[in-house]
Amino acid sequence: MNASPAGALRNRGLGRPIRALLLAALLVGLLILPRLVTPYKLLTFTSVLCLALMAQGWNFIGGYTGFAAFGNVAFFGIGAYTTGLLMLSRWRIPFFPALLAGALLAAAVAALIGLPILRLKGHYFAIATLGVAEALREIAGAWDSLTEGATGIDLPVRSDSAFFYYVALGLVALGLLTTQRLEKSKLGYGWVAIREDQDAARMLGIPTTLFKVAAYALSAVFAAFAGGIVAYQNIHVAPNDFFKIEYTLQMIIACVIGGSGTVWGPLIGASIYQLLSTFFWSHFLELHPTVLGGIIVLFVVFLPRGLMDLLRRWRSGQRIGRDMLLANIRASRIE
Amino acid sequence: MTSAELGQIAVNAVLLSGILALVALGFSLVWGIMNIVNLSHGAFIVLGAYLAFGLHEALRIDPFVSVPVSMAALFALGYLVQKSLINQIIRAPLLATFLLTFGLEILIVNLINFFFKADTRSVTLSYSGKGLELGAVRIPYVRLGALLVSLGLVLALGAFLNRSRLGRAIRATGMDIDAARLTGVKVGTIYAATFGIGAALAGAAGSLLSMVVPFDPNLGGTYTERAFVICVLGGLGNVVNVLIGAAIYAFVEVFVGARLPALSQAVTFGILVIVLVLRPQGIAGRSAS
Repeated sequence: MNASPAGALRNRGLGRPIRALLLAALLVGLLILPRLVTPYKLLTFTSVLCLALMAQGWNFIGGYTGFAAFGNVAFFGIGAYTTGLLMLSRWRIPFFPALLAGALLAAAVAALIGLPILRLKGHYFAIATLGVAEALREIAGAWDSLTEGATGIDLPVRSDSAFFYYVALGLVALGLLTTQRLEKSKLGYGWVAIREDQDAARMLGIPTTLFKVAAYALSAVFAAFAGGIVAYQNIHVAPNDFFKIEYTLQMIIACVIGGSGTVWGPLIGASIYQLLSTFFWSHFLELHPTVLGGIIVLFVVFLPRGLMDLLRRWRSGQRIGRDMLLANIRASRIE
Repeated sequence: MTSAELGQIAVNAVLLSGILALVALGFSLVWGIMNIVNLSHGAFIVLGAYLAFGLHEALRIDPFVSVPVSMAALFALGYLVQKSLINQIIRAPLLATFLLTFGLEILIVNLINFFFKADTRSVTLSYSGKGLELGAVRIPYVRLGALLVSLGLVLALGAFLNRSRLGRAIRATGMDIDAARLTGVKVGTIYAATFGIGAALAGAAGSLLSMVVPFDPNLGGTYTERAFVICVLGGLGNVVNVLIGAAIYAFVEVFVGARLPALSQAVTFGILVIVLVLRPQGIAGRSAS
């Protein structure tokens, strides 16, 4: 971006070896974490990872493809219920196959409802997805013979917090790899083309429907993974806990804070969001949502492209400061 | 279902559609003119309800009388919010306004929760339980009054948008922002005024609702959803579309609520998705931008 020679000289990108070293240190730290903290503390880290999973999923449809999906909690709930019900079923299916089945079912549902609603644009798509999620919540609450209605289902107990942590960590790594691979693939470039101009993308020969459905189904897969893990960890699955709109918002906010349409954004955003949330929870118990709402507002106004954008600017040698924040506003304000 | 029950259901639907039209009108105006889906609309409704409640508790003012007070207060708040916050990000991608207004919703609802607690409130008036008896069908005075006030405000807004200078400027900005600016319209101020009017209508709806239904700080969310569904059903564009959308929605909600209460939202949203896919411009609308 910065064309001046001085800008090129001040390039602050880290060298490849240093970056690899940092990554390795982070990985080792994450792997031995369960030995360092109490099982209770570990729960917080697992919930960061689950939020990151959902945000990674949302990133495909919302970040790369640019469709404001406002009902991804539907797939979280499908994953949770499928995992739970299969484990409780006559066949006593073990956790991992059940989790995978949940993800596949979520992807199938996403493809099925995606075909009609991905034709909608903008707000209409957003609210249609919200509607689907709300409808699924009611169906889960009313379908007594399958889901035990509003009471919910109880899964077998497994009180091994390190297990859940490692499963979530592995899946987040899978999410990072998938995103990184796809970002530079035909599919990834196609998504970005659709985000920038859907009609132009179609004219270039990109099969837009197929690509959009792929992004939506992929977003469902990761949300369902998170749902399955949270279900098994919490033991109890009920419609109002697993289909609540807060989850959808959290994954979007995590993505936006970190930087949507980037590989690392969802994970970074999820960590920061959970950190802030836990902090405000312990310091301003009653006004906690007010502070959170305020943070959302500040981020949207001042850093609409998230922390990854900040990092990118820092690495290319641009000055970070008031001017940059004001420039962010100037780009999208109206006098 | 007997004919008396059917009659009562139909009357209930008509009574409900008035307030719903008022709720949806402000939402539709903000959406149609500025392309903002205002997720904090529900919070403005709740603020209106608590204002009416507070004025009734402290000064014994009938909420029908305090409607203008609510409208003025909410207009000021909406004007400020648009001017200081939303105008800053209005040209960013759609998700920005979505998240911003949702952040505001969380913030306002939590603040109301903090000051008033989550207790369920209602405004009870001397004539609250009374109503007209037409054979087997009952029409409570409060609901009838709310219907009349709502319809009055809806028609007044229609006239305002068509006749007044400010109303025409608002419509011109909605049609073509650059052309409006060229003719000397101050777009930022018009936007602020539009959002303020939307909030004022929400405040009026909240004041009326305070007499009609018991409420708590979380009342608003469902009304934001309803407003959206009504706008989709009717299509954006003018006051008549909103009235048609509200009438259709009210009948669906009342009938489904009477037959399948557990699945009322699933049915409503099912209809919504079908309408969206088959007729994205709405049942009554020509073309929604």
